[in-house]
Amino acid sequence: MLNIILYIIGLVISLIIVVKSADVFVDNLVEIGSTLGISEIILGVTASAIGTSLPEFGSALIASLSGSVDIGVGTVIGSNIWNIAGILGISATVSGVIRTNKKGLTRDWLMTLITGIILLIFMFFGDIHWSASIIMIAAYGYYLHLLIKSQREQNQVNSSEEEKIDESENNQNKRNIDKKTIALVVIGLIGLIIGCRILVFSGVELARIAGIPAMIMGLFTLAIGTSIPELVVTLSSAMKGLHDLSIGTVLGSNTFNILIGIGIPALVMTVPVEPLSLTFDAPVMLFITILLMVLIRAGKMKLNRIAGIILVASYITYAVFRLFILV
Amino acid sequence: MYEKILVATMGEYMDEILENTIDVVSGKEVEIIGIYVVDISVPFLTPVRVKNMMHKELTLRGREILNSMEEQLQEVCKGIKFKKVLLEGNPAEEIVKTAENENVDLIVMSTGKSRVDKHLLGSVSEKVVHSAPCSVLLVRIN
Repeated sequence: MLNIILYIIGLVISLIIVVKSADVFVDNLVEIGSTLGISEIILGVTASAIGTSLPEFGSALIASLSGSVDIGVGTVIGSNIWNIAGILGISATVSGVIRTNKKGLTRDWLMTLITGIILLIFMFFGDIHWSASIIMIAAYGYYLHLLIKSQREQNQVNSSEEEKIDESENNQNKRNIDKKTIALVVIGLIGLIIGCRILVFSGVELARIAGIPAMIMGLFTLAIGTSIPELVVTLSSAMKGLHDLSIGTVLGSNTFNILIGIGIPALVMTVPVEPLSLTFDAPVMLFITILLMVLIRAGKMKLNRIAGIILVASYITYAVFRLFILV
Repeated sequence: MYEKILVATMGEYMDEILENTIDVVSGKEVEIIGIYVVDISVPFLTPVRVKNMMHKELTLRGREILNSMEEQLQEVCKGIKFKKVLLEGNPAEEIVKTAENENVDLIVMSTGKSRVDKHLLGSVSEKVVHSAPCSVLLVRIN
């Protein structure tokens, strides 16, 4: 009993360490990138796309490298189902409505759907090898390119003299890389590695003590835990009426989780595919992605409270099936 | 009767708020203070980068809303004096504090949340009504 309590405490503390470390790591990396003259647009888009997904990625990578590949794949697929059905469902239910921008939504949703289909195809042919990994990483590179292009177009429309002055002042101020910034990048990275290691270890041990498969631990506990940044960002931005940020965070994170969260581990080792993941989890992930678009279209390009409740109910149904019927 | 009016908005129901404000001030020489409060509260574990992004977006939105409010009011009510106030913090607290500091006679704001929304999101207007130092005109949105 004491062991279980200790592992649960370990899980909670390591989650906080992982989320905070990812934040510190990305923020300071962006500052270094900015000092080195990398475009603010590229840095902003990349940081937004990667920032909230680092905990999932870190856990999936550490889990795979430490031999618990099931937990890694489970965390990625489970996170993607939770992100849409759980997080967007809860956010739409609480805030009452999440409005969407048609152009951005179509791009991000299509990419999430295509990414899911790519994963399902690779899974269909058996374990995921480095050759699949290269395609996945290249696909993510293309998606980042699309995001940067879109941000550039938007900035050209919004640009004002005031912003240009601010930018040139910023550029003048940022010429030397601060030692503190480098130290914070290193601290963030170390925190991320140690946090993910404790997180995965606590998850594996809890699964062993409770006698449940490691995949289940990944699909639910770690998936929901590592998606805390998406939850806080999506919920608070929906409540403040920042709808693009809300839906974009979730869809961008899902694309990253698959293409990088599975792509990078598959580059260094073969990622095995569990039969139930192929026949149930991955199809559910695709179904939820399609359901999201159906609900948005039915709500005239808005995700309303009823749609949110439908999404949450879908997640509960999935969890009940996966935990109690299909184990 | 009213010489100084505080018009508070979070960006929603602007048309209705302005319509009622114009009705109250029409033909009078009054000072109107348009206020928008950037709600900077975020949950624990929100990435700092996202918090900054939200802050920037909401500040830009607040500026746009106040500019639009000024434009629309100046167009219809010729004798008014308009002042824009963009603050950061808890919306209800900042609205009440500004009403006290500026010695306003009336606060105009909207109310229209359903019972469910009030429970889930809270209500700025309810909080303002409870602690306002002056009369409050709540524009009901159906």
